[in-house]
Amino acid sequence: MGTIIEASATATAAEHRRSLSPGSLELADAAARSCLARAGRTAEELDLLINAGVFHDKILSEPAFASLIQEDIGANLTRPAGAGHGTFSFDVYNGACGLLTGIHLVDGMLASGTVKLGMVVASDMDPEPGISEGFSFPGVGGAVLLSPDDSRAGFTAFQFATFPEFAELFQSSVDWQDHAGQELAHHGRNILTVEIAESYTTRALQCAESTARELARGQALDLSQIDVIIATASVPGFADALATRLGIPTAAVATLPDDLHSAHTAAPALALQSTALAAGSTTLFISAGAGITVAAALYRA
Amino acid sequence: MGGVSVNGGEHWMALEGGADGSPPGGLYTSRFVGIGASLPERRLGTDELMASTTHRTGIDLERLTGVHERRIAGAGEDSYTLALGAARDALAYADCAAEDLDVLIVSSITHYVGGLRMQLDPPLSVSLKQALGARRALSFDISNACAGMMTGVFLLNDMIRAGQIRRGMVVSGEYISQLGRNAALEIRTIMDDQLASLTLGDAGAAAILERAPEGAAGIEVAGFTTLAEHSRLCLAFPAKIGRGVSMYSDARTLQEVGIADTVPMLREALDQAGLDFDQIDYFIPHQTSARAIKKGVQEFSERMGGAPKHVVVTVDEFGNTSSTTHFLALWKYLTEGRFAKSDRVLLLSIASGLEVGIVIFKVDQLVERYGHDH
Repeated sequence: MGTIIEASATATAAEHRRSLSPGSLELADAAARSCLARAGRTAEELDLLINAGVFHDKILSEPAFASLIQEDIGANLTRPAGAGHGTFSFDVYNGACGLLTGIHLVDGMLASGTVKLGMVVASDMDPEPGISEGFSFPGVGGAVLLSPDDSRAGFTAFQFATFPEFAELFQSSVDWQDHAGQELAHHGRNILTVEIAESYTTRALQCAESTARELARGQALDLSQIDVIIATASVPGFADALATRLGIPTAAVATLPDDLHSAHTAAPALALQSTALAAGSTTLFISAGAGITVAAALYRA
Repeated sequence: MGGVSVNGGEHWMALEGGADGSPPGGLYTSRFVGIGASLPERRLGTDELMASTTHRTGIDLERLTGVHERRIAGAGEDSYTLALGAARDALAYADCAAEDLDVLIVSSITHYVGGLRMQLDPPLSVSLKQALGARRALSFDISNACAGMMTGVFLLNDMIRAGQIRRGMVVSGEYISQLGRNAALEIRTIMDDQLASLTLGDAGAAAILERAPEGAAGIEVAGFTTLAEHSRLCLAFPAKIGRGVSMYSDARTLQEVGIADTVPMLREALDQAGLDFDQIDYFIPHQTSARAIKKGVQEFSERMGGAPKHVVVTVDEFGNTSSTTHFLALWKYLTEGRFAKSDRVLLLSIASGLEVGIVIFKVDQLVERYGHDH
C-alpha cells in the first residue's frame, strides 16, 4: 500500500484580485477548495489537515493557521450529534521543506491507519507590504491531497537533512524597531525581516545534491532514471541547476512560472501543476530551505 | 472515512490505540521514558503584575484564576534556552543519548531567540538538534496553540506504534509571560479580551517516547480533533504597543464550548481504552485557571458518571505555561514522587483552534527513573 497524490492545486495572489489585498489565508482556502474539487472530494471527508506555510496574515502565532483553513472550507466544524468523524488540524514549520514534511507526516498516519485522507496546505504572503523588509516571495497557496492506494507505490522513501553551519544564510524574524528619533515605546513597531544571503543558493544546491545522492544510495536508485524532478528552494534557477548537478535531464524539471520562481512553501504544489505524473514514472521531490534544511522524497505514480 | 472504534462504531477523533490494539497499524506500544522541565528562577506574583497595570482595573486576578505567581524568563533566557534546558533534563531521566532520537519536534507557540526577537526561519528545531547532538533525528517545528506538545506526543505515538521509529522527543520552550506584560499596559476591566494573557507564565518542558518492550505498559489511547467552528476565539499576533505578542481571546466562550465539546471526546477516548472515568488516577487538564478546572471536572464527572481520583492543579504556582502545562505538571509530580507505578493518567488538552487532545497512559517504569519505586 502506498500514499498517493489524489490531487494538487494552487492559488496565486495575481489570480485573486477580488479582495483589495488577498492574504495568505484566502490563498490557502482557495487552493484547499480547488484541490478537494479536483479530487471529487468534500471537506467533510478530511481526517487530517496540515498547514505548512510560514508567512501568515498578521503573523498570527495562535491558533494553528490550519484550524482557520479548516473552518473556512467547512471541514467537520461542529461537535458530533451522532455518527461522523472529525478533522484534526495543526501547523508544521520547516521553512521551504514544510510541504514535504507535512506529506511525510500524512504518509505515516495513512500507513498506520490512524487517518484515511489527509491534506497539506501551504501559503505565504507578505503580511505587511511596504513595511516588511526583504520579503521577496510571491503570494502563492498550494494544497496536496493524499490517500492510501493498495495498487500503487506512491511515496516510497523520504530523506531529511539539516546543515546548521549554514543557518545564517536564510533568516526571518519579527522584532521591534523604534521609529527614528522616537523614544516612547509605542513609537515603533514589530517588523518582519527576511534576509537571504547571496551565497544561500550555492549552499542550498550543495546540501540538496548531497541529500539527493544519499537518498539514491539508500534506494539503490540511478538518478538518471528520474522522470520528473520537483526541486524548490525559494530562489530562482534552483531546479535547473540541481538537475544538472545530479545528471538529470533538464527536460525532467517541473518548472515554475517565471513570475513565481521565488515561491516559498507552496512551490512544490506549484511545480506539480506544470507536469503530469504518468503511471509508472518516478518523481524526485526535493526542497531546500532555511537551516539549511533539505527534504527529499521519491514518488512512483 | 474515519476510524472504527472498539465497539464497532465510527469515532470522531483521530484515535490511536485501544483495547483491541486498533488501529490496525499499531504493532507496538509506546511509552514515556523521560519528562523534563526547565523553569526560570524569577517569580512574578499576581499582586505585583496587577500593580503594574496602566489603568486601575479593580480586578482580583488571583481570586478569579487561582494564579498566585508565575515564573518569568530572566536575562539570557528565551524560548530556545528554556526548550534546550528541558530537552537535556528529559534525556537525563530517559537515560538515552540525543543520538538515539529518531525524531525531534519543537512545539512552542513562542519562538523567541535572543530576547523578544521572534525567529520564523530557521525553525528552532534545527539549532536545538545541533545543540543536543541529535545527529540522526528528523527535526521540524509544529504549532498548535496550547496543544502543541500534546500534538507532538500524538505524532510520535503514532510513528512508534506503527514501527516507523523507535524513539522521539517533543519539546517546547515558552517565553510567553511577555503577553501578560503587554496586556497589563492596556487592560481596563474584567471583561477585557486580554485578561487571559495575565495568567501566562514561562517554562520549558520535554517528553521522550520510545517503543516499549513487548507486554510493557505505556500509552493506552491518544486522540485528537479540531472543532474549527471556534477557531477564531483566541488570536495572537505581534503587539502594536511594544515588543512581543498580544493575545485576544473570548475566554468565557472558549471555556464554555471547550467543556461542552470535550465531553463526547472524553467518552470516546475512554470507551476506546475500555475504561470508566473513575478508573483514572490522575487527571491533568490544561492549566488555564483553578476555577475553570474545577468547573470542567465537575461537568465532566456529572456527564461521565464518575470522577477521577485526583485532579492535578499547578496553575497556582506556574500560571498557564501554554503548550508545556501537562508535562510541567507531570514532571512536578514525578520529581516529587507523587505517582505510584500502577497509576493511570489522563492528559487533556483544550486549546484554541478549538483543539481537543487526550492521552491516557500508565505511569509504570517512569516513577523509578525519578528515584521513586513505591
